[in-house]
This record gives sequence, C-alpha cells and structure tokens, in this order.
Amino acid sequence: MSSHYEAPIREPLVLGEKSYHDITVDIARPIEGKANKNWYIAFTISLIAFIWGIGCISYTIGTGIGVWGLNKNIGWAWDITNFVWWVGIGHAGTLISAVLLLFRQRWRMAINRSAEAMTIFAVFQAGLFPIIHMGRPWNGYWVMPIPNQFGTLWVNFNSPLLWDVFAISTYLSVSLVFWWTGLLPDFAMLRDRAVKPFQKKIYALLSFGWSGRAKDWQRFEEVSLVLAGLATPLVLSVHTIVSMDFATSINPGWHSTIFPPYFVAGAIFSGFAMVQTLLGIMRKVTNLENYITRLHVEYMNMVIMFTGGIVAVAYATEFFIAWYTGSPYENFTYMSVGAATGPYGWAFWSLILFNILIPQLLWIRKFRRSFIISFLISIAINIGMWFERFDIIAIVLSKGHLPSTWARFEPTFVDIGIFIGTIGFFGVLFLLYARTFPVIAQAEVKSILKLSGENYKKLRDGNHE
Amino acid sequence: MASNKKYWKSVEELNKNSSIVAKLEEKEFVSEMTADEFLGDKESLEESSTSRRDFLKYVGFSTAAASLAACEGPVRKSIPYVVKPEEITPGIANHYASTIADGYDFANVLVKTREGRPILVMPNKLANGSTNARVQASVLSLYDSLRLKGPKVNSNNSSWSDVNTQIKATLAELKDSGEKIVLLTGTLASPSTEKLISEFKAVYGNVEHVQYDALSESATLDAFEEVYGKRALPNYDFSNAKMIVSIGADFLADWQGGYEKSYVEGRNVSAGKMSRHIQVEANMSLTGSNADKRIVLKPSEQIYALINLYNAVTGESLPSKATPRDAAISNAAKQLKKSGRYGVVVTGIQNKNAQLISLALNAYLKSEVIDIYAVRYTRQGNDTAVDLLLSEMNSGKVGAIITYNTNPVYTLADSAAFVEGLKKVKLSVAFASSENETASISQYTLPIPHYLEAWGDVQIKEGSYSLTQPTINPLFDTKQFQDCLLSWSGNEESYYNYLKNFWNTEVLQGTSWNQALHNGVFTPSELVVVELIANSIDLVKSANVLLSSVHTGGFELTLYPSTAIGDGQQANNPWLQELPDPLTRACWDNYLLISQADATEQGFSNPVRDNGAIDGQYANITVNGVVLENVPVLIQPGQAKGSLGLAVGYGKTKAMKTDMQVGVNAYTLAKDFKNVQVASIENIGGAHKFACEQLQHTIAGRYEILKEVSFKDYSNSNLDPKKSWNQITKVSLKHEEVEVNSVNLWDDQDRSIGHHFNLSIDLTACTGCGACVIACHAENNVPVVGKHEVRVGRDMHWLRIDRYYSSELDAGSEARENNTNSTSDSVDDYYNLETPEAENPQVSFQPLMCQHCNHAPCETVCPVAATSHGRQGQNQMAYNRCVGTRYCANNCPYRVRRFNWFKYNDNSEFDFNMNDDYGKMVLNPDVVVRSRGVMEKCSFCIQSTQAVILKAKREGRKVAPSEFNDSCACSAACSTGAMVFGDVNESNDDIVGLKEDKRAYRLLEFIGTDNNVLYQVKVRNTEEA
Amino acid sequence: MSNKVIHALYNDDDILMDAVKKVKEKHIHIDEIFTPFPVHGLDKAMGLAPTRLAVTAFMYGLVGLGFSIWMTNYMMIQDWPQDIGGKPNFSWFLNMPAFVPIMFEMTIFFAAHFMVITFYMRSRIWPFKSAENPDVRTTDDHFLMEISIHNNNEEELTSLLNETGAVEINVIEKH
Repeated sequence: MSSHYEAPIREPLVLGEKSYHDITVDIARPIEGKANKNWYIAFTISLIAFIWGIGCISYTIGTGIGVWGLNKNIGWAWDITNFVWWVGIGHAGTLISAVLLLFRQRWRMAINRSAEAMTIFAVFQAGLFPIIHMGRPWNGYWVMPIPNQFGTLWVNFNSPLLWDVFAISTYLSVSLVFWWTGLLPDFAMLRDRAVKPFQKKIYALLSFGWSGRAKDWQRFEEVSLVLAGLATPLVLSVHTIVSMDFATSINPGWHSTIFPPYFVAGAIFSGFAMVQTLLGIMRKVTNLENYITRLHVEYMNMVIMFTGGIVAVAYATEFFIAWYTGSPYENFTYMSVGAATGPYGWAFWSLILFNILIPQLLWIRKFRRSFIISFLISIAINIGMWFERFDIIAIVLSKGHLPSTWARFEPTFVDIGIFIGTIGFFGVLFLLYARTFPVIAQAEVKSILKLSGENYKKLRDGNHE
Repeated sequence: MASNKKYWKSVEELNKNSSIVAKLEEKEFVSEMTADEFLGDKESLEESSTSRRDFLKYVGFSTAAASLAACEGPVRKSIPYVVKPEEITPGIANHYASTIADGYDFANVLVKTREGRPILVMPNKLANGSTNARVQASVLSLYDSLRLKGPKVNSNNSSWSDVNTQIKATLAELKDSGEKIVLLTGTLASPSTEKLISEFKAVYGNVEHVQYDALSESATLDAFEEVYGKRALPNYDFSNAKMIVSIGADFLADWQGGYEKSYVEGRNVSAGKMSRHIQVEANMSLTGSNADKRIVLKPSEQIYALINLYNAVTGESLPSKATPRDAAISNAAKQLKKSGRYGVVVTGIQNKNAQLISLALNAYLKSEVIDIYAVRYTRQGNDTAVDLLLSEMNSGKVGAIITYNTNPVYTLADSAAFVEGLKKVKLSVAFASSENETASISQYTLPIPHYLEAWGDVQIKEGSYSLTQPTINPLFDTKQFQDCLLSWSGNEESYYNYLKNFWNTEVLQGTSWNQALHNGVFTPSELVVVELIANSIDLVKSANVLLSSVHTGGFELTLYPSTAIGDGQQANNPWLQELPDPLTRACWDNYLLISQADATEQGFSNPVRDNGAIDGQYANITVNGVVLENVPVLIQPGQAKGSLGLAVGYGKTKAMKTDMQVGVNAYTLAKDFKNVQVASIENIGGAHKFACEQLQHTIAGRYEILKEVSFKDYSNSNLDPKKSWNQITKVSLKHEEVEVNSVNLWDDQDRSIGHHFNLSIDLTACTGCGACVIACHAENNVPVVGKHEVRVGRDMHWLRIDRYYSSELDAGSEARENNTNSTSDSVDDYYNLETPEAENPQVSFQPLMCQHCNHAPCETVCPVAATSHGRQGQNQMAYNRCVGTRYCANNCPYRVRRFNWFKYNDNSEFDFNMNDDYGKMVLNPDVVVRSRGVMEKCSFCIQSTQAVILKAKREGRKVAPSEFNDSCACSAACSTGAMVFGDVNESNDDIVGLKEDKRAYRLLEFIGTDNNVLYQVKVRNTEEA
Repeated sequence: MSNKVIHALYNDDDILMDAVKKVKEKHIHIDEIFTPFPVHGLDKAMGLAPTRLAVTAFMYGLVGLGFSIWMTNYMMIQDWPQDIGGKPNFSWFLNMPAFVPIMFEMTIFFAAHFMVITFYMRSRIWPFKSAENPDVRTTDDHFLMEISIHNNNEEELTSLLNETGAVEINVIEKH
C-alpha cells in the first residue's frame, strides 16, 4: 500500500515476523508473566538504597542541615547538584515523545513510553531536593502562592527559585498527563486480555474505560499533537529556568548569559544517556530486543553526540571568557585555569574526561551501534553531567568575590546517603513500572508495523523489484 | 487546762481488747492498694473484695490524670514585681556608669540593664572610656554558671557567719603569736581599698600587702621608680605624636591597655596629621600590624636595637651589638630626632635597664608624648616581693595568706612552690569568683561578686578617679573582699558607706557624690602636680647589665596575652573563646607561632583539609628544664626567624566548662615572671585541629576590595583620587565610559524621605581589636557554636574582621598603587598572589558586616520574600518567614549571611550561654533568638535605631544629628571611632561628610549593589627619613 | 423500532478502510468503529467532523496567561508591595521581565491540563468508567464495525459486510 511506503534504505524499526497480535503478546508478557531473578535482585538493592536514603533524610530533618557538609560560604553543594542532575535526566522523556513526535520521528515510538516514565520518576527525585534542602522543610508550602492567615503574605515572583517551583511542578504534571493519556489504550488492551479478575479491575480502573472509538482516536491524536506542541517549549523552559538559578545570580561563574541554552543541551545530553542506560538494561530484562533495536541505540547516540557537542562548545566558551575578561574574579570560575589547578582540579578534570573526551568515541560507527559500548559511554556521561553541576555549584561558591570567604566543601555520609537513596527510589519506581505497565506504546507501534515492520518491508520491497 | 476526754467513734472501741480497734489504731489511714499489687498477681485480683470499685477508681484517676497531663503546657516561671521599683520600666533600658578593674582590664564603662539585668557593657564616652573585647564580654562572665554560689571551707559548703567567725578567730591567734599575715592581690589601684588594707594592717600588725600581676610590668615600674621615685607606669598621649618607635610594646592591644584611642587621634588624616609609627618586634602583634613600618627582630636583637637607637639619637656610645636591621634603626633615629618632642620611644622589654634607657631617650627628646605626671596605676605587681613571699611561705614564715583577685596557682611559673607553701600556711583564704586553681586548694574559698554586682573605686591614672557601682542584686551568696576586711578589722560599717565616706572626705573636694556616681568618674578640678626630679642614671652600667642579661641560643619564645583571652581570667567566657585572633583568625586555641623559615626547617606545616579546615603538628617546648607538651604549631607570616610566640591564658581546667578547656598553660614557661624565654622545640607530629575562620590570607590581587594609599599621595592635592588611588570601576554606556554607580537598570525607589542609614568604616582608624565583634554578639544574641563548627566554617559572627597579608607580588605593583585589580594569565602569578609574603607582610584589617545594599542580591532571590528592604535603608530579615533555602547567602557577594545549621539554644550539643539558665540572662529581650534552619545577619541594630526614633518622638523633637551613632553596637563599641553610623538624610550628621569624603568607597562597587556601608581608604605613613 | 446492531469484525486495517468506503458508498450509516490503534484516515472515511480540542487548548492558554498576570500584579504590586532588591515594585510593567517565566508556565499549565480534561469529558473517559467496546479483541488486533439495523435490512447488510472481508459477523440486541 502506498500509504505505508517507507524508503527501503531505512532499516526496519520492528524486527522479526510480527503480527499485531504478536506485538500485543510481546508487550503483555512481562506484565502477565512471572518476574525473573534479576528483577528481584535489582529491586531488593534499590529498595535497600531507598530505605537508607529515607533514614538520612529523616536524620537531616530531625537534626538540622548541619549534618551535611555545607558551611557559611558554600550554602549549596550536593543537594542542588543532585536536583539539577535529576531534572536534567528528566528531560529526555518529554523531549522524545514531544519533539520527536513533532518531527515525525517514528523510531521514538519504541522508547517514548519508558523515556517518559523515566522523566516522571527522575522529576520526583529532583523535586525532593528543593524541599529537603530547606532549613525548615515543614514550612516548604510557603513557596506556594496560597492565601494565608496573614492575608498579605505572598511569595516573591522575582526569585528564580520560585520560577523553579512553577516550572518543575508544571513540567511534572504535564508530563504525567501526557504519559497517562498515551497509556490509556494500552491499559485497555491489558484490561481486555486480563484473566485474573483483580488484574482486570485494576487495569479497568487505570484505562479510564477506554473503548477505542474512531472519534476517541481522532481526539486522542489531536490531543497528543497539541500536548507535544505545548511540552516542547515547556521542556526547553524547565532547564532554562533551572539555569537561571545560577545565571541571574551575581557569582562569577554563575552569572553567565549562555547558561540557558547550554543547560538545556546538557539536560538532553544527560537525559538521553540515562535512557540509553535504562533501555540497555530493560531490553534484556524484558526481552524486547525486537522493538528496541540497534537503530534506536544509534539514533539516540547521534542525539547524544549533537548535544554533547553543544555542551563542549559551551565549556570552551566559558573557559575562554573567564580568561578573556581579565577580571581576577573570573580566575576561579568552574571553567578556568584557577579551577583546573586549584583544590578542585580533580573534579574539573573528571568533568572534562567524562563529558567531553569519552563521548567522542561515538564518532566511530561500530561503537555507536554497539549495545555494550554505548551502555558504558552512557554511564560515563551520567557521571560527567553530575560533575558538571557539582563543579558549577561547589567550585564557584568556594571562590567568592572576597578572598577572605574562600572555603571548601566535603560531603558527609548524609549527603552521600541521600543521593544514593534517590537513586534507589528511582530504581524502585522504574522496576515496578517495568513489571506493571506496558513499557512500549503498543498502539503506536502497531500503527507503524506495516510501515516499518521487517516482514512487511521485505514483502513490499519484493513487490518493488 | 487541756481536757483528756476520750471520744469514741464506735461502740467497738469500748471493748478494750478488740482486734478491730487495734487494727484500726495501727493503721488509722487506709492505704490505697497500688496498681501493680492489685492488678499484678491473679489471686489478689480475684480475692480483692472491692475490685470493681477499685478498678473504677483507678480508671477514673488515670483518665483524669491523663487528661490533666495533656492539658498542661510548658511552665515559664516568672515573678511579677509586687512593688515596682521606680527606676525600672519593663521594656525601657537603664544605663549605669561604672568601672571595670579586674586587675588586668581597667575601663570606664556604661552598663545597659533591662528589667534589672545587665545585658551590655559599652565605653563610658563621658569618661573618655574605651573598651576592648574582654571588657565588652565581661557582662557574660557575670552570668557564668560555674561561679561560686556560696562560701566554702575545705571545699565544703559553709555559711558566711561561720566562715567569718572562724577566720576572725584564727587571725586573732596569728596576731597574738605575731605571725605574718599576707594579702596577695592583683593590681587593685583602688584608693579606698588600699586605705582599708592599711587599717587592716593597723589592727593585725604584722600584715603585708603583696601585689602580683600575672603579666608583670614590674621592670617598667622599677625603672620609673628608680628615675622618678614613684612606683607607677608612665602614661602616653599619642594624639599629637609625630614619630612613634615602639620596641616590642604591643600598646594597641594589651600592653597596659587603652592607648588605641589617642594613637588613632594622632593619625586623623582628614585633619591633615598622621604620626609615623615604626614597630620593632618578633611576634606579629596587633600594634605591629597597624604600624607604618615593621622591623622584624628577635627579642635579644630588640635590646641591641634599643641601645643602638639610643646611641644614634643621642650620639652617645653605650655598649651594644649590631643587629641585622641597623640601617632601619638609624633611619628611625633620624626621624625621631627630626620630630623632637613629638617623638617617643615605647618599649615592652621586660627589663629594668631597657626601660631606664627608653626613659632616658624620651627625656633626651623632651618628649611630650610620654606623660610622667598623669601616671597610670593599672599595673602594681612586684616580682621581687612575690619571690620573697614564695620563699617565706615555704620556710613557714607566713601564718596566713589571703588571696584576692589573683590566681597564682594557675599563673605562677613554679606554682608548685606556691602550692607547697600554701600547705605550710596556717590560714589560707581565697577570695575568688569561681573555684579556680588557687581557691580550690585554699582552706577558705570566699565567693566575691562580679564587678557588675559590686561597689568600688579605681584610680586608673593620676588625677582621675572612677567608681564601680552594682547594676544588679548579687546573683549568689557573695561578699565583697572589702566588706570582709572591714568586719575582720572589727569595723561593722558596710563597704558602701565606707567608700562613700572615703570619697566625701578624701576625693570629692566637696562636690556631689551622686554626681560622681552618675558620671562614674571624677576628675579633681585643681590637680596638685608634684614636680618630679629625674635621678641621674648610669646608663653605661645599665647597658652593660642589660647586655649581660641577654640570653640567646635556640629559639627565643615570647609569651603574649591573646587579644581575646588576655591573662585568662575570663577563659570560661564563650564569646571570648569564639572571638578569632585578629591576625591568625583562629579561635578556641592557643598555639605556638613560628616563622615560615623555621617551620620548614623543623618540618611543621598547616595542611588544609578537604572541608576547608586547617591542621597542624604538635611540638614539645622545653624552657630550661620545664617541658610543655603537645603545643599545636601555627605558621605566622612576619614572625621573626628564630623566635616563637605563645599565648598565655589558656589551658585552664578548674571552673571551666568542658568545651572551654582548650589550649595549654603557657604561664608554666614564664620563669622569673619573664615573658621572653630561650626555648627549644621538638616536632612530635600528630594532627591538631585548628578552628580558623579565614583560609585565604592574601587579597589575591583584588586590590579594589581594600584600598590603600600613602599619606603623601593622600595629602597631595593635585592628585585626583578618582583617577589615582580611589577609582570607581568604569562601564561602557552608549559607547562611552561612565562610572559604574551612575548606571541603573530601573527607576529607583525614593530614598530621600525619612531616615536613611549609612555606616562608615575607616580602615585607617580600625586597629582590628575585635571589640565590635563581641559587642555585636552581646547586642544581637548571636549564638556561640563551638570549636568544631567554627572549624568547618560555620561561625555565626554577624560582624567579622577580615585580615589580609600582602603577597610577594603586591609590593610596589602598579595595580596595588592604584588599588585596581591585578590581572594575570600565568598560573605562577595566581599562586604568588595567593601566598602571603612570609618574611614581613603588610597587614590590613577590614571589618565586614551586612552591607545593606539598596539593590540587594539576597532580596531578589528569596522565594518567600523573607528578606526585603526597609524604608530606612536596612536590608531586613524576617526570621519567622525564612524557610532556609540559603540562596540569599550564596548570592551575597560579601558572604555576611549566617545560617542556623542546628538549634543553638537549649541544646546540650552546644553547651554555651544559651544552654544555661544563668547564661540566658544576658540575652537582649529586644532581639529574638533565632530558631534552627533560618538565615540571620546584621540588622543595623534596628531595635536600637527604632528606640532612638521612638525616644525622640516621645520627647516631641527631631532626632538630633549623630544621635544614631551609638545605636549600632559596633559603632558604639568602637573606641577609635573607626565606625560611624548615621542618617544620610540628616544634613548635619557626621555620616554625610564621610559619605562625600574623598577616601570613601563602597565594597565591590562594580556589582552595582548600591551599599549603605562605606569604607574609608586605608592610609599609611610611608615617609622615610 | 428494533435496536438490533451488526458487529462486523476485521483483522486488518487496510481491509477495514476498504470496507468503510464500500459501506459508505451504499449510504449506510456506520454507528461506530472500535480499533486497537489509530487508523489514519478512518475518521474522514467515516465522515466524522474534525475535533476542536486544539482551539479549546488555545483559549485555556489565554486564561492561564491572564491569570498569571493578575496573580503577579495582585501579589507583588497591589496587595503588599515590597522593596525587593530595589526593583520597581510600584509598577507591574516595569517589574514584568521578572514575571515572564511565571506567565509562560501558567499558560502551558492551563492549556495542557484543561484541554486533557475536556478530552476526557467529551470522550466520556474517567476513573471507574466501564469500557464500552463490545468485543475484547478490538484492543488487540481486531477492528469492529457497528451498524444498526433499520427496517430489517439484516441480510443484505450481512452479505455486504461479508463481501468487504469481515472475518466475523454477528447480530445482537442492543439495550
């Protein structure tokens, strides 16, 4: 059929002799089947880390922020580092499902569901830090513009932190809605397959009684398109605003106009890296090799190379400007000779290594298409991006305007514990998701099966000869 | 008559041998069955006849109890005035003029009391008083919970009546047996007390009064006595000095105290005068750091330098030796000669002959700076007398020893001898405020009131009498030394009456006692000046003796009193323990100061840990046989090679909270009361944890932060400051260079209406003494956080004094000249700019508090608008709105915001004054105690500025010009007037002129924060002869 | 009249499309089609009117923008103006640049959420709503066309649908 034409040069996105029903079966398998041993091991580890994190958080809230390594001159370190890191990770999902949808990139369909799940879970983690890093978290709700008994006591809309509150909460809720709407038909599928009454009830509830009428589908597609249109500027705005926490401040090294684009690029960079990491594991665990293919990996690596390039250029610019201003205050920004040779040199150089040097391996096609290597590189990028945020926050704060205020930071076990805890929390959420949710947007995949399914392509290309 | 009728309660009772009656009688009241007994074991529960009723009782009771307990809230004990004292109005502060004279610090002070509690000590400006950090902090020592609460006999509690009778009896015996009674006191300088003692002598005959200073000025006193026949210290008035050469005299800090005021008056550059000050010293002292030129010489060489200076000035040729810096010395001599009677030499060398020479030199110069008439009585200690006493005690010649205001067991080098001697004494009485080392081993330990609870008089210097008056009822069961003396010498009069009579008869010359009491000070109208005839001294002889007394070899150790702790009698005062040393910026410690060169030789270093804290190795110091172990070593730039420094006053263990028991006792090394000793040290490694508040010692080429100018350039009228030494950063606006502060992003608020506060800080006048820091603590309830927290960079000082050493690259660099920033591309230059010049760096101090920016970066970033700008220019902080994101602190370019990392009050983890019912009495009721997790910072003492405004309002007048100056604790405490606070909208206010002064600049002006704190460029008199 | 309906099931989207076209040619009204995934062009083939959700989204966005402007103005300028960092707290317009992020976020927030809510309401999907697809296979791999029977044209419809390649046809009473 002409409507199903795709250039034969393109590799199929769905491998194997798949029919619509096969897809259904494949995607329902991890949910209906029993979890394998690996899943339980991974889950236990995540759970322990999660509980440890809860312990550290309660200790902090019970005793005071003093249990962290912060001091009078370095008021932020791991807390906001982790916040920005998680927010950054939370960028790929919406980007994949929104921007790529606008660009009609069909390859997104296999990964957008999980990418979005990852987004939402990551933003959960990110959202934790602004709350627990407060000296009085029990008053955290004061950052909401809600009427109160004082009548005239309102928030300060000049503050980038408040912009964060709006940006993050909007981003989280919109992503959630987008994700859920996409999930409805797949829940409906599970509901209709379910044999256990309990499962049927649950999925009936989750699917909101989706019936798949022609009109519903029409609206469904419209909504997806508009949501994508809204989410695209949103996803760009979120990290722009996060970067404004720094860019609108006056610390040399923070006060930098290129932060917004550069942070967004960095976010996508780290986000795709994390997707790469997670899918690398998931396609094995849930044996969906036929849906998450080398092609997907390669495409994602290309995005990583592109955004990574932007980030590298941003670093270079920062470094050059720091030197070019000739201002002694710029001598010690996180991208400067001062940083490279100073007490935080190790952090500076690990940033360069993980974020700039290692990703360059992806220029080699063989690596780009290799599951294991791109998995390793993605992990390196995750580390590198964490260091980027740490450097920006800790190094800059450790070298303030007045030399008398120069200081250093050393994390305590609580700092570290909380970070590990969030990773555990993230793992718990994602593993539960992988066992209970349709990890691939089956409805969408079905809609491109004829277009890009291996067997259909074969047939069609045969006809063309 | 009492009837013996019997009333019977029941017929049964009539029956004589009735078991029931007997039973009832033996247990008249039926004891309730306790819960466990009745619920506990089954049988009793079954057989208990009235179990249901009992049960209901218990249920009822427990319910009631539970509900009651639930209702009960926290109980705050407070007793209202039954009859309100007329002078006390709740919410209104009362001020009393008084005087501190603890034997070490002497000052005329003004005590602020609230609801009958002293909460703040300020200089009594009427009496021209000046306070240092210790005087400021003395109010907290009043509330020291470890003070003695009652008299003790052999450390068992006793009562005053018993104690007095016993002591009287023993004294009587001793009198009969004609044994010697010794009063061992610190410097009293109290006319009435001395009279009292003489009367006591009259009663008991064989009585001797020995005065003893922990930090002795005996040599100076002896010298002065030998020349002028009067045992006193010469006084100095530096206000019109042109040339000051100080040889080892730290006269801006603790050397007799109280000279900084006249010194700064002599350097009032806006009045066109500036004395030149050359300091010859081994330790980097506060005075040396303020000097225009600092000549680094070991103590032994200082002596030669003194003689060489004398020779160079007078042209005589006393025997001497050469020093490495003789050129500089002869230069100084030239300048001295040039300035003639406006020149002066002061020396802190603890050697009679050295003092003789300096006196002679000043006499030769006919110096008007030194005043031999208005002499000072602030040091009276006599070393020889103390030595004699020790030997007599040990040979059992002393019958009774009464110590007052002194702690020899702690401060004596061979306190062992004193302890031994004390055992041989029949009667040992210690008047002490706490159970210190001496008091704890004396038979009688008699608690004395704090000076804020006591009466007294002081003659700080000739022709000036001061009064001490109580500002609060004695907290504990204490008696004044004087009262006891009176009663022991059979005089039943109270000391108050005695004092009053004494003043009326001998001091006041018929003027009013109440007036004197109100002023706190009395200066006789006609002063009887006794003409002093200088006896001729054979200087050659004394020079020879002096030379022979010089010991060299090994290291030359100088023991010095630290700016915070002084002689150590207030060592249990957390404010002082947490006051960083002006130079090392370390607190909660004393440490061995060593030069970089020696440190490298001996393998000492101060590595910086990852958390920004500084470590150091330990050394064992040996001074002729005596070994002081585990002394942490700190490298001090500017320390003379081959010399060491160690602060006394630390290492106290008696009557000290555990957290305060820090440091080592350096007194044990002060053999023969000498503050200079020849020592040998041994590096024993280890890692000592220092609590140092400043990591970076130089200004790293950012000269615009702390601008300096030579007096020559300053007074050069055809040099435009704006173009040379006080430039304002230029920015390009519409392609033309304009001054950065002329650019504004938006229409600014109107700040011309009402009051608008500015604070000016004169870097030339600031000596870095730290009095303002303590004053700020006291006024604003700033918490003490303890050694570890300071170590990890969490001190809470709202006001800090940054100290910068010059670096190798600073000297003569063009950027330094113009106070512009030096920029450099080479990593070596970074390094060199960051390393302080080790040999002899220049030092600059910069007090730093919230700059109260009109365009405050902190305000913009607070998500909950907890900090915003006041109508009077303050950057205000609403503590109870703060959620503690710390964004404001990160965005503050001056880093003056302080975060409550923990709960610092009522928390046993921080066992300082806020965790202590007595210590809490010092809290200022006008300032809230901040809770955990909120940000806090300098508020321009808004509570006091408001008080001033309300006062004016009540009195129906405008606030007078400069009336605000004393409302900021820091500016009020500043003796040198370096800090001036005022209202820029009041055209007659001093601050207006200062704002327009050509020295005025604002910190980091290029950021455009539009600060309300101004700095006045530091001026140095670099003129060489 | 009777309320019988014919359910014709197909197992391929292309066949379904042809079927729809054929049926429409016969001017027979198709009540409803249940599909497991969006079949492109189906709505046009069925002659469904285009949806207007995008328009509502735009309007909701405007509401959000307006709300944020009102909120910032009321809270920062009118109700309790504070001198924050010397910023012009006396005029919303001069202070506006600081409010742009808020305005943007609120616009998106309103547009996204209210549009989705509208979608759910219009398509009658919400928690605890029971599904209405007559055959469970329609969420797996089958496509179901529902045509109601008027004046007993049951046979001809059945034959027609058979021609169009329906894999299964059954007539049921609809209640």
